[in-house]
Amino acid sequence: MNWSTLVKVARFHLVDLSYTALPWGVLAVNFAIYLAGAASAGGGAQIPSANVVVIYLFFFISGMLSIGRSLPFAFALGVGRRSYYAGTALLAVSLAAVYGLALAVLQVIEQATSGWGVGLHFFRVAYILAGPWYLTWLTSFVGLVMMFVSGMWFGLVYRRWNLLGLIVFITALAVVLGTGVVITSRVHAWPAIGRFFTTLSAAGLTGLLAALAVALLTGGYATMRRVTV
Amino acid sequence: MTPAISVTGLSRRYRGQLALDDVSFDIEPGSITGLLGRNGAGKTTLLRIVAGHEFPSAGSVTVLGTSPVKDDALLHRMVFVREDQLYPENGTVGGFQVRHALRAASWFYPHWDAKLAEALTADFNLPIRRKVRRLSRGMRSALGIVIGLASRAEVTLFDEPYAGLDPVARQLFYDRLLADYAVHPRTVLLSTHLIDEAAGLLERIVVIDSGRVVLDAAADEVRGSATSVSGPAIAVAEFAAGRTVWDRRRIGSRESAVVAGVLDDTDRARARALRLHLEPLTLQQAVIHVARMPGTDARERTSA
Amino acid sequence: MAGLEEGAPLFVQVAERLADEIADGGLAEGERVPSTNELAAFYRINPATAAKGISMLTDDGLLEKRRGIGMFVAAGARARLLGERRKRFAERYVEPLVTEASRLGIDADELVALIRESGYVQRGTRP
Repeated sequence: MNWSTLVKVARFHLVDLSYTALPWGVLAVNFAIYLAGAASAGGGAQIPSANVVVIYLFFFISGMLSIGRSLPFAFALGVGRRSYYAGTALLAVSLAAVYGLALAVLQVIEQATSGWGVGLHFFRVAYILAGPWYLTWLTSFVGLVMMFVSGMWFGLVYRRWNLLGLIVFITALAVVLGTGVVITSRVHAWPAIGRFFTTLSAAGLTGLLAALAVALLTGGYATMRRVTV
Repeated sequence: MTPAISVTGLSRRYRGQLALDDVSFDIEPGSITGLLGRNGAGKTTLLRIVAGHEFPSAGSVTVLGTSPVKDDALLHRMVFVREDQLYPENGTVGGFQVRHALRAASWFYPHWDAKLAEALTADFNLPIRRKVRRLSRGMRSALGIVIGLASRAEVTLFDEPYAGLDPVARQLFYDRLLADYAVHPRTVLLSTHLIDEAAGLLERIVVIDSGRVVLDAAADEVRGSATSVSGPAIAVAEFAAGRTVWDRRRIGSRESAVVAGVLDDTDRARARALRLHLEPLTLQQAVIHVARMPGTDARERTSA
Repeated sequence: MAGLEEGAPLFVQVAERLADEIADGGLAEGERVPSTNELAAFYRINPATAAKGISMLTDDGLLEKRRGIGMFVAAGARARLLGERRKRFAERYVEPLVTEASRLGIDADELVALIRESGYVQRGTRP
């Protein structure tokens, strides 16, 4: 597994404009709509918007599609499982870094212009993306990577075990989460958890997400190792 | 010489069914070998395992000395052209075109020959700006063939790569393959059920039936291995006495028998004297007989 | 395969075609013989097969290799081939002819007359 192969894999994915033109195109259109709406509302109104979430969702779907769409052809071209996985993860990390930075910069501009002159909070999401620009960048970066990698894992599960397998996987996740919720309620730990999160800084949250991302990467790779085409 | 492809005791089981059963053979580097057999015999499964796309249930495969599922570097020296290749198909933006597929291939193959790709694309009338999902079946096959040939991969696997190609295009494929192979030899494993068309290309053949190897021999040996003898039934019986007969068909007082073994000039003279008509079996006919043999023991039929 | 029928192994057929050409005088002694790649492309066969055919003729002394240039027809090849073919002529052609003739009740005189009528002239030259 060498570096140049990983870069080639990332390039290979980027032939698909869905990774680049699509998300920004959609975001731009959305932004324009909201901007117009805020402007016509006469400014002053602080319209909250979490449209940025769309980008996160997009990364999740891209993660799935990076496996679903491109894996068979990459395999035919002699790309190994390790190289494909690492190269795709490299793509995720690169896109997340660049897009995260862009979001942070846009957030700074938004703040500086008091919501684009019309009080529109498009790029600022309360608490999570509300700190200094570099923290925003880091949080976005980790969040986006996590979304992509989760999508990859879902895509891999689907490839290996088909729709039924994916349903089982999601159900298992839901069960684990649900059990966690039930147990937390039983031991009345919600307040403790609430406290944990409120005292957790954005930096802390980022660290948590990073750990989660690493766990997801490992899980995804384990599924990748036996995937067939 | 180390074999380019070495398969040992390979088995693959799907839901209790044995797709491949104890398959073993070696393929020498710099040769064209035909992987023959009926539909569903296990050829595709075998090729997928050799390419590292699928895992064996038992046994092992080495290509150029290493395992295709363990060694990522090896995979860049291999290309697998398959009939049902899936290409990235973007539903919304842009569209994965033929030229994107060729470009991607050029990135991953160190010996990619762009001029050859260009020439082949023209030969097959492949429209490079068309989206791959809009290609007809024949065009998709042509794309696979262009990639397979222009990659100059040391080990080139073709799995019935001619789906949808008309006979003219198929002949083009055989011709281009031979032409490139003559100047840049590589190891080619070509699975096909159109045996007679490809017969001239093949140096060796491996015949698979129901997941087992039933024949592994030089094409020339198989070609001369049986003759159809026809004429008056009595004469045929006399000629065939003491020889292995693979098949017998009768109509009225005439009979046609497929006699195994190489016939020499004396035999031919005798046949003439008996007013018998001799017709050597084509490679395809010989393979059909071998694959159909009930209770065929793979070991018996394997020749050096 | 362009023009090669099933039957004898392909490399033998390739060798025989070349031998025919030498015997006919189409390939003169000392003339260069097509390369294995040229033969492979023409007959649409594997180059290895073509190479086997060439080496068969080389082993029989009908072709010789000139290093770096190619394969050439050896001196005396034509004469040797014609000699071999004459030997086989009786077995290959005369015997079946005579067998069939006797089966049809054609006697020797009739047979000779038929041969003359076919336009055959002594020494193998065509009319």
